[in-house]
Amino acid sequence: MKIEDISKKSEQLVTIKPEDLMPLPYPYDTPDANPAFKELTQDQKNRYEASLDGFLAIGIPKPETKEQEEELVKTFLAGLGKLLTKENNWTFLQPLYHSLEYCVKCQICNDSCPAYVASGRQEIYRPTYRPEILRRIINKYIKKKNVLYLKLSGSDVELNWTLISRLAELAYRCTLCRRCAQVCPLGVDNGLISHEIRKIFSQEMGIAPKELHESGTVQQLKVGSSTGIAPKALNNIVSFMEDDIEEKTGKKIRIPIDKKGADILLLHNAGEFISWPENTEAFAVIFEAAGISWTMSSEIVGYDAVNYGVWYDDVQLARIAIRHAEIAKELGVKKINVGECGHAHKAMMVIADRVLTGDLNIPRESAIPLLADLVINNKIKLDPSKNNFPVTLHDPCNMVRLMGIVEPQRQILRKICPQFREMEPHGVDNYCCGGGSGFAIMQSMNFPDWRSAISGRVKLKQVLDAFQDAISPEIPKYVCSPCSNCKGQIRDLFAYYNVFERCNIFYGGLVELIVNAMVETEKPFIEWEWH
Amino acid sequence: MDIFLAIFTYFSYAFIITAYSIKALRYLRMPTHLRWELYPVMHEENHQYGGSYFEQVDWWIKNRRKHFIKSILLFLNEYAFFGSYFRLQKSYWVVLYICHIGFILLIAFQIFCLLGAIAAVFGVEVSSKSQDITGKALYYFALLSGVICFLSGTIGSIGLFIKRLTDKNLKAYTSPEVYFGYVFNLVLSLVGLYVWYYVDPTFSQYRGFWKGLITLNPENVEPIMALFIIILALHLIYLPFTRAFHYISRIFAFFLILWDDEPNLRGSNLEKKLQALLNQNISWSAPHIKTGKTWIEQIERPKSGS
Repeated sequence: MKIEDISKKSEQLVTIKPEDLMPLPYPYDTPDANPAFKELTQDQKNRYEASLDGFLAIGIPKPETKEQEEELVKTFLAGLGKLLTKENNWTFLQPLYHSLEYCVKCQICNDSCPAYVASGRQEIYRPTYRPEILRRIINKYIKKKNVLYLKLSGSDVELNWTLISRLAELAYRCTLCRRCAQVCPLGVDNGLISHEIRKIFSQEMGIAPKELHESGTVQQLKVGSSTGIAPKALNNIVSFMEDDIEEKTGKKIRIPIDKKGADILLLHNAGEFISWPENTEAFAVIFEAAGISWTMSSEIVGYDAVNYGVWYDDVQLARIAIRHAEIAKELGVKKINVGECGHAHKAMMVIADRVLTGDLNIPRESAIPLLADLVINNKIKLDPSKNNFPVTLHDPCNMVRLMGIVEPQRQILRKICPQFREMEPHGVDNYCCGGGSGFAIMQSMNFPDWRSAISGRVKLKQVLDAFQDAISPEIPKYVCSPCSNCKGQIRDLFAYYNVFERCNIFYGGLVELIVNAMVETEKPFIEWEWH
Repeated sequence: MDIFLAIFTYFSYAFIITAYSIKALRYLRMPTHLRWELYPVMHEENHQYGGSYFEQVDWWIKNRRKHFIKSILLFLNEYAFFGSYFRLQKSYWVVLYICHIGFILLIAFQIFCLLGAIAAVFGVEVSSKSQDITGKALYYFALLSGVICFLSGTIGSIGLFIKRLTDKNLKAYTSPEVYFGYVFNLVLSLVGLYVWYYVDPTFSQYRGFWKGLITLNPENVEPIMALFIIILALHLIYLPFTRAFHYISRIFAFFLILWDDEPNLRGSNLEKKLQALLNQNISWSAPHIKTGKTWIEQIERPKSGS
């Protein structure tokens, strides 16, 4: 396949077969271990632009006329032009400029990309492929370089709707884990280019995966949470969680809501309330035991830490970040504490740091160092023998490689999990779970198959490798994943390969392990039930 | 001819300095961006494992020490050994390293010749028999850097050309201008080798040319030396049109982007800059965006009752 083939009309640019994929370790080292991919239906193919790789993350409706196609091409070019201006893109212009101008295409980054390697090194997933397409479009259609220059610099590409629709999908085949940038000696960031391409589609063309935009940021700003939970429903959920805590631990704990003047506003990913309420409950148990002054909010947006804008749209990112800060200000808390959600960490503490000014610049920190302080300094009583099963740690990219929170979670696990072992590689060199940059919540059509079989494949390999000495299903094992989205991805990944049934590998957060080890809880807090 | 060579050399140096200054200014004048750091951040206390100040409770009231020396040492190490390539792509590293050593030593060769010429203007003898240690050192430094730069430039250019042409991962992304760059460098290195071996084995003639440049009294050189001087000047003019500025831009990328973990503290200069940026109008036109309004206006919620 040639680079410029992306503009050529065909039913599908590449076809990925399960047998092309990177091999997995025992017990997935047999040819039949890879489930067949779910094919798109003919109706889906007829309705949506699906000519990239046979998978659909966005599902862009096909234009009905040639004129509509041409209009979309024009809009894309207008957006690309805006992406290169200070006014419209001061937020990322300098990093973008560097990566567009100074990549020498040495391909040193290739093998750092889990999707590229796991796919059997498909050309379209090569970390330098998308940037190369974008660079060519810029040279030919924005900078309008002459024919000789285009030939000499290898910048020839034909811009048409086929290319644009494929590029839109292709921007959602990169998890923005930025391992590629980490190994680049020149500081080029191909992950950033995927991010910037997504912005053109969202901010200019109104094209984004439904889960990120319509039912993501838009719903969060309007209803309160990307899960659809409204403030009223939150109160019911909190009551349920309080009852659940009592049932599991025998403790009567009230989860504080809208408590003015509390020290900490604790922000959870609201996905926890529905999928893993035990995580929120564990936080309440620990904070109660440690005597911390804290509260949650019931304001719209204030009870959901997520900020999907960080993956595709700077305006939506800023809107949500500001709302979080306004709520903290109204409550009069001393600081915001972010629970186990990687992208919320990065959005709130790193990216939005340069959006929050004046009295909205409220101190924000991760819950992980606070938990480490409680555990290491014996502020809660713990019995590590309660966690005497093999445990490994997944490092969420956003929290670790992109924020440098590496050791506190390890300090906790070393203290409370006698059989803790690292994955390889780990820490800032970790691999993405495969659900990064929004993938974990994107469930449209057959995209979940792509993220389980391809983007999550290296993570599955790491988990299996970490537990090879105890891989028998008779031994329960735990993957600690202190991030809600990573947990969602690991849940789907394990279900895709029947990992729980075949290997008895369970997953959950960090706080669940802490509460499980608490001396004062009689029953095990971790229930080892697949859900 | 002598005057032409001098003027052309002056022009080539003026051109590359101006062009690189413009590139650097363009880069540095870009607005402050949102934070986009990547760990390990080398100036951090716990950079060995990639830790950051976010690992502390109440990090904003803690003393943040920045270890700039560590960052600079890392950079010098990378410039000297190309360690990332050595770790990840050994076969590419061999030819890349040889070629870049040639480039770095070419700069060193010019500097030693210039210093030698300055020394000569002040009456210091620059030769192997010089009684002056400076003159002797400058002679050997120039000789060694010159010979090694031409040898490694030759081997490295051929090596990179072949590597790019035969490695399928590299070939698809290598444009004709990249091959042209290797050929250009090869021609420069081969002519340099020829000049050294057959015409000017001690580089005294070339030092004399530099002395003429300094004293504004151009000295006569042999035709093949003149050819070398012209090719070198053309090479200097050519460089700003390539990606070779990455020698400098990588410093900006690491210090201004990947290691920029400066928090936005209340009342800081950074905060003032950000407030100005947030007051710019934007023209994005997707339905959820208020086209033509400022960033601040995008963010503001409608007042109750409106």
